[in-house]
Order: sequence, then structure tokens, then C-alpha cells
Amino acid sequence: MSDTAAAHEAPTSTGIDHKKLIMWLFLASDCMFFGTLISTHLLYRKLYPAGFTDAEGHQRFIQNLFNIELTSFSTFILLMSSFLMALAVSAMHKGQIKSFRRNVLGVIFFGLIFLGCQVFEFTHFYHQGLTIQNSVLGSTFYVLTGTHGTHVAIGVLWLILMYFYSFTGKLGGHMGALDVEVAGLYWHFVDIVWIIIFTAVYLVEYLGPNGIWGSGLPAVAK
Amino acid sequence: MSHDSHHAPVACKTELAPERSDLGLIRPDRSTGLIDWLTTVDHKKIGILYGAFAMFYFLVGGVEALAIRTQLARPDNDFVTARMYNQLFTMHGTTMIFLGVMPLSAAFFNFLVPLQIGARDVAFPRLNAFSLWTFVFGAFVLNASWFFEFAHLAGWFNSFEWHKALVYTDFAPANGWFSYAPLSGTFGQNGQALRFTGVGTDFWIIGIQVLGIASLAASFNFICTIINMRAKGMTMMRLPVFTWMTLVTAVLIILAFPAITVALIELMFDRAFGANFFNPSSGGQPVLWQHLFWIFGHPEVYILVLPAMGIVSEVLPTFSGKSLFGYPIIVFSGAVIGFLGFAVWSHHMFTTGLGPVPTAAFSLLTMAIAVPTGVKIFNWLGTIWGGRVRFTPPMVLALGFIWMFMCGGFSGVMHSSAPADSQQQDSYFVIAHFHYVLLGGVLLGLMAGLYFWFPKIFGRMPNAPIAYIASGMVILGFNLAFGPMHYLGLAGMPRRTHTYHAGNGWETWNFVATIGAYILGLGVFLAFVNLVWTAFRGKKCSNDPWDGRTLEWSLPSPVPEYNFAQAPIVAARDAYFEDKHGGKRIGTENDGGEAGVHMPSQSWMPLLASAGFLFAGFGMPMMAMGIPHAGWIVISGLGVLFIGIWLWALEGPGGYMLKTPAASGTPAPTETVAH
Repeated sequence: MSDTAAAHEAPTSTGIDHKKLIMWLFLASDCMFFGTLISTHLLYRKLYPAGFTDAEGHQRFIQNLFNIELTSFSTFILLMSSFLMALAVSAMHKGQIKSFRRNVLGVIFFGLIFLGCQVFEFTHFYHQGLTIQNSVLGSTFYVLTGTHGTHVAIGVLWLILMYFYSFTGKLGGHMGALDVEVAGLYWHFVDIVWIIIFTAVYLVEYLGPNGIWGSGLPAVAK
Repeated sequence: MSHDSHHAPVACKTELAPERSDLGLIRPDRSTGLIDWLTTVDHKKIGILYGAFAMFYFLVGGVEALAIRTQLARPDNDFVTARMYNQLFTMHGTTMIFLGVMPLSAAFFNFLVPLQIGARDVAFPRLNAFSLWTFVFGAFVLNASWFFEFAHLAGWFNSFEWHKALVYTDFAPANGWFSYAPLSGTFGQNGQALRFTGVGTDFWIIGIQVLGIASLAASFNFICTIINMRAKGMTMMRLPVFTWMTLVTAVLIILAFPAITVALIELMFDRAFGANFFNPSSGGQPVLWQHLFWIFGHPEVYILVLPAMGIVSEVLPTFSGKSLFGYPIIVFSGAVIGFLGFAVWSHHMFTTGLGPVPTAAFSLLTMAIAVPTGVKIFNWLGTIWGGRVRFTPPMVLALGFIWMFMCGGFSGVMHSSAPADSQQQDSYFVIAHFHYVLLGGVLLGLMAGLYFWFPKIFGRMPNAPIAYIASGMVILGFNLAFGPMHYLGLAGMPRRTHTYHAGNGWETWNFVATIGAYILGLGVFLAFVNLVWTAFRGKKCSNDPWDGRTLEWSLPSPVPEYNFAQAPIVAARDAYFEDKHGGKRIGTENDGGEAGVHMPSQSWMPLLASAGFLFAGFGMPMMAMGIPHAGWIVISGLGVLFIGIWLWALEGPGGYMLKTPAASGTPAPTETVAH
């Protein structure tokens, strides 16, 4: 309805659209959400620097487990997806719907590559002996990165629905651009969170010969 | 502007052509009846529903409390079993906090915030309905545990295989409202996930998780509404204090709830999938649960109390005939309380052995939080000072709030001293303290709000003599019930024990406390009966019976669904009061025009999406019970949630134009004032 659109373009007190403001508020809340998960992981890394014990009873160090090249690749892919998302938002603002579709397809594709890498990584780690059940490290690692993966999956689902919706011709104008921009805010946030996870969970393990947490025996003998 | 103009007929929604969504679904358009209440997006109706559910759960939690007090009335009592006692105090705390106080505060947020800021609705009307129904279903899941418990006690489950396999059969939660790990968690290595407790804990986990989603969604909505939908001239420092406290509360919710969300996810992974977050046999640290819980739990205390402080800050000036003393400092104190609320959580954990430095730091910060609270108390006293005080029922309750809340504050400062706290920990002294804050403080504040705004909500005045009697019974019964607990606690009576032996010197005061609890319970019940009767049969009253100060009193009672026929323009704090008794302070915006006011359409989708939580919420404890195929209930619930959100997005906000009296003929005042 035309008057619906009119009502939604009614000026707000701050000049910021409701949808954009509520997404920022959600992201503020999500910061605390990931902050709690990352804190849990880091606290337990500090407490138990030695890694985990696999099914054969061998002590395993986390550097032997991680495939940092693969994770760097998927991090790069996710960063590039953010770049494409920015292009998609920009295209939508200019009303270039075809360019929007191309770019958003790219975002979806890159998002799926990232998720594929994560599935591969989880499977690989599982076969290496790290499970959610056999150690605190397994619990914190899988729940933290899995929660992030769920965020990415929700973003991919959102963008797929948006991509198909664009063919109905109803995704356009100021409101359409706003909807895409809000999805973009979410996507960029999820990307930024991954940069933090990649740094705090993966990269710091390579600082110094034994990682930032040191090595040696577990703080509490099993 | 003249209020007579509002009595002109307005266009009925059903006279318009039925509205179809993009999928061809016809949207509901009833303005009365069950379908209307199920699909409404009107913030006032949602507020009334929140209030009705909250009052119901207050009574449920009250019955649980009375069962506890009956058990403790005399030594070595066997009114309930030890297990039932644990379930009662767990569900009492959880119910009162999450299903009583928070939704009743939400009822006030919903009803008042748009009216106080001069808006026609909240920023996201359908999201608001979603918050309501998600709360309703979360509450239902949590309380459904009682039905499982009673079915188990009655032996209805005995023939089922899954029931025989259960080691622990406490179907209602029995961990306390904090569900401390490892009791709520698991033990055993390599994913054995042996549990200390039964599926009651799983009901609790999923129930709180769903209620958290409801609170988060509502808070995003209200921050957005307050920041973005203020009328022209309604600057932040002209906002009514209640709206300010709503804003602070909502910010606390969005920043504090993620901690409990993550903690619940981790606990769920421990119990359902054998993870090791809090499992001590595999290196998990149960104390982490305490930290995560109280990082949420302490701000939660302010989430409960700040709305009541906001209500009191509206009631006191109205009945003192004076403006609020030190408005900016009251607002600032509220914000400081909210901020400091995040930095004091470990004062709940002094006895866990944090070490001297953190203990001292948390001790100091806890003492610091008494400063803004004291500032508020003095400002309220300054408001009454020299005023022409009218002792109406809301005023009596608000004065009771100040008195009781101060008592709770004094014992709170005692707890902030770590050495003293380590003596008081887990004793009845703590029970006395937080009931003085949460019951003497919050409940009296909320009751003051109910009596204050009921005439606005329903256009009917509650019966004053009954209101005075009920208020007197609540204040008397409350002090009789919880005053002696200070003594009992210092005399060594521990919390959470289902009985005590004679000869400890606790008999007399426990008996007195039980009598007090019954007086209190009857008082609350009487007050609620009075209010419910008022809603349907009370004496009609004028639009502004209290000589109110804020914008909602400028509207007819009950408030028409479009709120403001023309958007107001305000030029002062307490603009309506100034407008009545001083110069012109309220103008109107000529925004309606001939088309009328734009109203959002009703929708089934929020209810449908929330219903997904109902299925998922039931399915997860049933999975934990080992009921076959229960996993499909969870999956179908998540499917319903997805479909609900998807259809919600596709149908769009919709909307129709409603002709207001001003637009349909009566000349509208169009003058504006400088601001």
C-alpha cells in the first residue's frame, strides 16, 4: 500500500531509520553474546594450556591440530564476502538491481565456501580426536565456532531469501535499499566477529614456540 | 484542545475492504473479540495482556510462597516433602522474577511509553506482539513442568519405558532460581553426562531461554521507540522519568541477557550433548556458571527495580502537587545505577574465594552503587517536602515503596562488606534483604503504578476504601513476614532447608513470618480482585482524575486506538501540567490531514512464530526424558518459527487509515507553539 510506505518514511526523532537502529541494538547485544563465548574459551585455554587427550590417550597440542592455512583461506573468503556485500548495498542504493543480484550471489557463494571449510574443519578435528565430549577445549571450541557458523548460516539463508524476493519486483526504492543495508550490517558484524575469533582462537596459539598460553602439564591433573 | 471532539464516531476497520498480504492471505481485522486479542498489534492491548498474565503469575508465585511458609510455620513440619520444597522455592523465585515482575513492568512499558512520548505506537508493532506471545509460551513451558510433576506423582507415567529409565524424576525445576552448576549440570568423563537432577532443569533452561528472547525483542523495540519516536519538542531531558527508566532498563536487558543466554546454551550442551563447560570431572569450572549467571543476574536486579523507581517518580510529584525535585540528577542517577550494575556481580560470590583484590574491588563498587540510590531517595523526599500531599492509594503505596526500599537498601549495604557478607551468606538475612528490595520495593511500586494508571487504562476508578485496606494489609503483612527474617538469619537459620528442628530459637519468628505471609497474600489478592473488578465494573471517572502531569493524561480514557488524533508538540517538561495551570505548552501537529491516522494492520504471524517456541520448548525436555521421537517436536517447532518469520516478512507491515474525530469534521486546533 502506498500509504504504508509513506508512513514508514515518516521522519524519526534522530533521522535514523527504525530498522537500522534496531539492527545496531541487536548487534550491541550480540557483542555481549560473542564476548561471553570468547571469554569462556580464553579462560579455559589459560587454565588448561596443554590441549586435549585423544581417544588413544595421546596428549595433543592445538598447533598440531589446526590447519592454519585452511582457516586463513576461509577467513580471507569471508572478508571478501563482506566486500561484495558492500557492493551489493551500494548497488541497491543506486537502484541497480542486476548488480545487486550479482553481488549478493557472490556473498552467498563465499558464505557457503566458509561454511564448507568449517564443516571440513570440524570433521577433520573430530577424526583427529577432538570431540565436544572428551575435553573442555572441544566443548568451548565447537560451541564458539559453531555458534558463529550458525550466524553465518542464518545470514546466508536471509540473503538467499532476499535474492529470490528481488525477482518479485518488490525489493526496491528506499525501503528495499534499507532492508539490504540492514542485512549488510548483520553480515559485516558476523565477519568482524570472525576476525576476532580467528585472532583470539587461532592466531594467538602460534605466538612463541609454545603459543601464548605456554605449555606444560595441565593446571589440574586429570 | 477540547476533549469533547473525541466522542465523534470513527471509521470502523471492518468497513474497509479486507486487506490481503502478498500471499493472498487476508489479514485479521477484528477490533473486538478473541481474534482481536490474539492478533492485536496495539501497544495498549498488548500492555493489558502483559498485565493480566503477570497478575496471574503473581498469584501462582504467591501460592508457591504460601506453601513454603506453611511448611516452615512450625519445626519438623511435613506439609510438603523436601523435594517438593526445593521445587516450590525454585519456581517461586523464577515465577516472581521472570513471570511476575518483569512482565508487569513490560505492561507499563507497553501501555505508557508511546503515550508519554507522544507517539501512536511502538516502532515495531508486530515485534511487540511477538514479544508478548513468546513470553506467554515461555511461561507456559516453564510451568508445564508442574503438570509433568503431578502426573508423575499420580503414577500416570509408570507404564512407560522412558519413565522407567529415568534416574531422577524431579519434573519441576529444583535447582533454585540461579540453577548453580554442578548441581544443575553433569558429572562423569568422556561425555557420559550423568546428571544430578531430572528434567525439571531442562524445563527451566528452555523456559528461561525463551523468556529471554521475549525480553530481548521487547527491549530492542522500546529503545528504538524511545529514541526515535518522540513527539516534536520532546527532547531527551523532557522525557517523563518513567520513560527514562524504561530506556535504562531496556539497555540493561540487551546487554545483560546475552550472558545468561550463553550460559544456558553451555549448560544445555553439557546436559544434552555431554559437553564439559561446567562438568567438574572433566575439568569444567562450576564457578564459571556463577560468574556468567551473576553478570546477568545483578543487572537483572536493576532491571526489576528501575521501572518501579520510574513509577514512583511519576506518582510522587502528581500527589505532592510539585514537579519532581532534581529531575536531571534523578535521570542521571538511574543511568549510573544501570552502569554500575554491571560492575558488582561478584558480590554474590564473596564466599567462593575470589582473592582479596577482586573482593575489595567488588565490595567498593557495591558500596558506590548506594550513592545514586541514596540520591534518588533524597530527591523523592525533596519532591514531597513542602508539597500539598494527597494520600491517595497510589501515593500510600509509593510512600511505602520509599520506606521499604530504604530498609532493603540498608541491609544491602551491610552485604557489600565482604566479611559481614560471608557470615550472612545463605542465611535468612539475605532472604529478608532481597524481599525488602523486590517485594517492599518493586511490588509496592508496581501496585502504586496499577492504582495510578488504571483510571487511564480502563476509564474507571478503583474502589478507594478497598485499595487502602489492601495496601495496609500488604505493608503490614510484608513487614510481619520479612522483618523477623533479619533476626532469623542472624540467629543462624539457613536458606533453602525444607524444615528445622525445635530448640534453635527459631520457632516463634517463623510462626510470625507465616502469619505475616498470609496477611500479605490476602492483601495482594484483595488488591488484584479490586483491580480486576474495576476493569469491568468500576465507577467511571474523568480523563484526568489525579491532575496528572504527563501527556497520557491529556488523552481520553480509555485511550482511543490511535492515541493522539494529532501528534502533540511539547514545549516543556511535564508539559500537560504546565499547559493546564500555566501558559500554553502543548501544541498539535497538523499531520493527520483528510486521510486520517495511519494504523498498522493486525497479524497472525507473531503468534505463529512464537508458537514455534512452544513446540521447541516442550520438545527439548521431552528429548531429555527419552520420550521417543521427541526430537521431531523440536524440529517442527523450529520449522514453525521459521515459517512464521518468513510469512511475517512477506506480509509486510500493512496498514490502513483511520479517520480521527479531528479529521472527520470537528475543526482541529492547528496552532503550534515555539519549542
